[in-house]
Amino acid sequence: MRLRTLRRGTQGLGVLLGVFGITGIGMTHLLFPGLHCYACPLAITVCPIGLMQNLVISGTLPFYFLGAIAVYGLALGRGWCGWFCPFGTVNDLLAFRKVRFLRALSPLKLLVLGGTVLAAWRLADTWFCKLCPAASLTASLPYLGLGVAQVNTPFLLHMATLGAVLLGMALVSRFWCRYLCPMGGILSLFNRASLFGLRLGAGCTGCGACTRACPMGIVPHREINSSDCIKCGECVPSCPTRALSIGFSLPGVRGRDPLRPARARPGAHGVPPGQ
Amino acid sequence: MRRAFLIVFLWMALGAGQEVPLSPVPADALGDWAQAMVPLRLRSTPAQEVQFEGPKLLLAQWGEVTLGMARFALLLGVPADGEAHLWIDLDRDRRIVPTERLTPLRGPGYVEWNATLTFAAGTEYPLGVVWPEGRGYVYLVGGAPRVGELNLDGLVARFVLVDGDVDGVYGTKGDFFAVDADGDGTIHGDPDSHERFALAEPFTVGGRSFRVSSVEPQGRSVRLASTGYVPPKPPLLPGFPAPDLQFASFPDGKPISLSGLRGKVVLLDFWATWCGPCMEELPKLLELYAAHRDQGFEIVGVSLDTSEGDLRAVLASRGVGWPIAFAGKMWDNPLAQVYRVYQIPTTYLLDRDGIIRYRDLAGDELARRVAELLQAPVSGPARAPEPLPLSLGPPRPILEIAVPPEVGVPDDGKGSVPVRLVNTSPYDAEEVRVALAGLPAGAKVSGVELARIPPFGEREVELGIELPAARGEIARATVTVLYHYCIGDSCFQIGDEVPVALAVGEGKPPSAGIPMWWILVVLGAGLLLAALLRGRALLGVAILLVGLAGVSLAVGLLRGQGVQAWRIASSLCTSCVGIEEVRAEAPAFTPAQRAALEALPKPVHLVLFSTDWCKSCPYAKALVAEAARLNPKITYELVDAEADWTRAEGAGVVRSGKVVVPALLVVPTGRILFGTTDLPARLVAALGEVR
Repeated sequence: MRLRTLRRGTQGLGVLLGVFGITGIGMTHLLFPGLHCYACPLAITVCPIGLMQNLVISGTLPFYFLGAIAVYGLALGRGWCGWFCPFGTVNDLLAFRKVRFLRALSPLKLLVLGGTVLAAWRLADTWFCKLCPAASLTASLPYLGLGVAQVNTPFLLHMATLGAVLLGMALVSRFWCRYLCPMGGILSLFNRASLFGLRLGAGCTGCGACTRACPMGIVPHREINSSDCIKCGECVPSCPTRALSIGFSLPGVRGRDPLRPARARPGAHGVPPGQ
Repeated sequence: MRRAFLIVFLWMALGAGQEVPLSPVPADALGDWAQAMVPLRLRSTPAQEVQFEGPKLLLAQWGEVTLGMARFALLLGVPADGEAHLWIDLDRDRRIVPTERLTPLRGPGYVEWNATLTFAAGTEYPLGVVWPEGRGYVYLVGGAPRVGELNLDGLVARFVLVDGDVDGVYGTKGDFFAVDADGDGTIHGDPDSHERFALAEPFTVGGRSFRVSSVEPQGRSVRLASTGYVPPKPPLLPGFPAPDLQFASFPDGKPISLSGLRGKVVLLDFWATWCGPCMEELPKLLELYAAHRDQGFEIVGVSLDTSEGDLRAVLASRGVGWPIAFAGKMWDNPLAQVYRVYQIPTTYLLDRDGIIRYRDLAGDELARRVAELLQAPVSGPARAPEPLPLSLGPPRPILEIAVPPEVGVPDDGKGSVPVRLVNTSPYDAEEVRVALAGLPAGAKVSGVELARIPPFGEREVELGIELPAARGEIARATVTVLYHYCIGDSCFQIGDEVPVALAVGEGKPPSAGIPMWWILVVLGAGLLLAALLRGRALLGVAILLVGLAGVSLAVGLLRGQGVQAWRIASSLCTSCVGIEEVRAEAPAFTPAQRAALEALPKPVHLVLFSTDWCKSCPYAKALVAEAARLNPKITYELVDAEADWTRAEGAGVVRSGKVVVPALLVVPTGRILFGTTDLPARLVAALGEVR
């Protein structure tokens, strides 16, 4: 099966997880590590960011949130963004322009995360939820249809955020995932230590084909599994020498160190020097 | 670039809300309430080494005043002249010199000194020291009130912040604030006043609700954030209607309500059999009652006793014939909470219309005023009782108590019982007292008191025990938890208990243990290492992280955060995800809407579905109460949608497996109004559909 077909399948599953309520399954205790609104009428899993804010507001250390996110993060890292996240899928649908990654904006998503925690702590309110484009899409709009929501200032604010983010996605592929997503921000911390990841084998010529294929706009052969890699695997089939592969392996022993440029070409056995 | 982002975000996150700059004001300019008094025990030696360079003292007692980080040594001494003098080490050089002696003001039985202490970069703190002569303690009189103005679209309200615990730091436990909420130009700041608030308490000015989101520690400013509407506290001042009380009379259980006594002059008396002044007044009350009962005088006694037997004996022996309310909860009596009673005797004299006319009258003055009110013309028939703004139904516990069913105690009988308390509500659980009851004779136990457990917060406490029991014996005991919480103006006292078995000789001495937050610290450190290391070291860090993730997940699940996640996710409060904004203003109908409501021809029943943590629900409750007040044909009931899921589902308030609150059901038509946006207009329109 082609990698992309497989990924479309898992992405479909991720979207379905958001609307599994149609099967009669009610809300569960599970966190799902993708940006989705648990206020969505059909959601069956809890949004980690929403839960984290509520736990912080209640003055509780969010152990459940951190533990679950660490488990998820150590399994796939940002692979969740590339393979399962429903809002990531929306990003993919609008990924028309694969432009280069603007590295200076990378910390923005961690600042969004920090701002979200700070707002929950200081202002005792779920400010991220009030601006979240996933909530706009899967809560505000459905509830308007159900007669629960009205067109009012918060609704218009939601629509404005959604519009701006959709526009951003159309102009820059994976715009939300690259720069703004707090969920991606926290998963990115686990990216290097996760089981799932890209491997760089022998034969990389540095031709740049993977860079042109990357929706995140990074340079995969130099930055495998770096915090901005969503492990979507788009680069894998693009490699003319098949030097890139993706799958499960132990962190630290699967390929060239992502944050450091190669000091030498990979050896014939596929493991670069220095590992 | 990154730094710029950080600054912008911090500014946005911390800078939101209205800042009220505050400046010092003499307490005398505000009233006695703006002063705070705390006792300070004196000792024969100073707490830190201090050199005294004054005259030889016949008697010397030392104390220490702590303001912020600054510690001022205080010396109360009697030199050869026989007069008490006070020295304070004003410059904190650990030398008390003759110039640091304060000028005394001598009164009957006490001596008072006043000083201005300077600490923390020039902050000046006026402090009074009062010594009741011959005692081993002094009173520190401080509070250093700071005043500012709250500006709300042209409406200006004075705001006063008081350092209630006299520690020189504003925003700490015991500090409070007062706001001229009713705009009458006077701040009513007495402990039972409607304009005095604890720091965490929301308040309503000009129909909009706020809470103090942060306090500058030196009191230079406070920051206010808009919050969900809370009804203002009812004033307990002469000229204002007395809040209604409903209770079953003790001991006969007859239902009594203040509103049902309209047309009579009523003395509302908060008292107790253990209160000397109250018992001194009782014969006069009996006399007054006998003399005027037939003319329409009634007394309603609210007993703050804890002993039912004592009360029963006093009522029978003295022949008290007026209705008595008794809950056995002392200050936490729910009726006393409505009247914010903090001292007894407290009395209110109400006229025939249920308006407070006088308070704290006694003796001949009371008799004179009762006679005067009885002679005043009756101003009309009794009004229909006003519906209460909030459900005052039986108080529900808000704390979940988790105690191991069996606790091992080491051979020496000294051990501890861990108690975990989880607040399952959006209200503060206040003054939580945890103790052990039912232990065998000779056992010693140390209780624990927590000032508050925040909404949805949790606390763990250890109750120290010392058992005389022999090895192998199991002692049965009960963990008792006493606390109160307030919803708006209504406060509830809860006493809850959980059984525990104590097995002597099966425990291990308690180990110091690692605080759980270390998990987070190590997790953070692990992530940092994961970003820096590579190769096998990275693999090692990853394995460590897996372990930490598992521990963190387990701790979260053991603390009930999984259930909390489910609870949060299975209810939809319309304002929480930004489907609508939280209303901070009071609900109001336009004149046209009021006219339409008043003209409603048929009786209509409304059911308001809410949850106790929903931020928009108090607004919806206040609105429905207002509608019912305008037209008595409108009746309503409040339903907890989480507790009564079946009813919520039947009414259509559950949408796709989620309960949506607030939701207002108009019973005759079955129409449901969700949320609070334009609710007055939507309610009037929905009521218009009732044919």
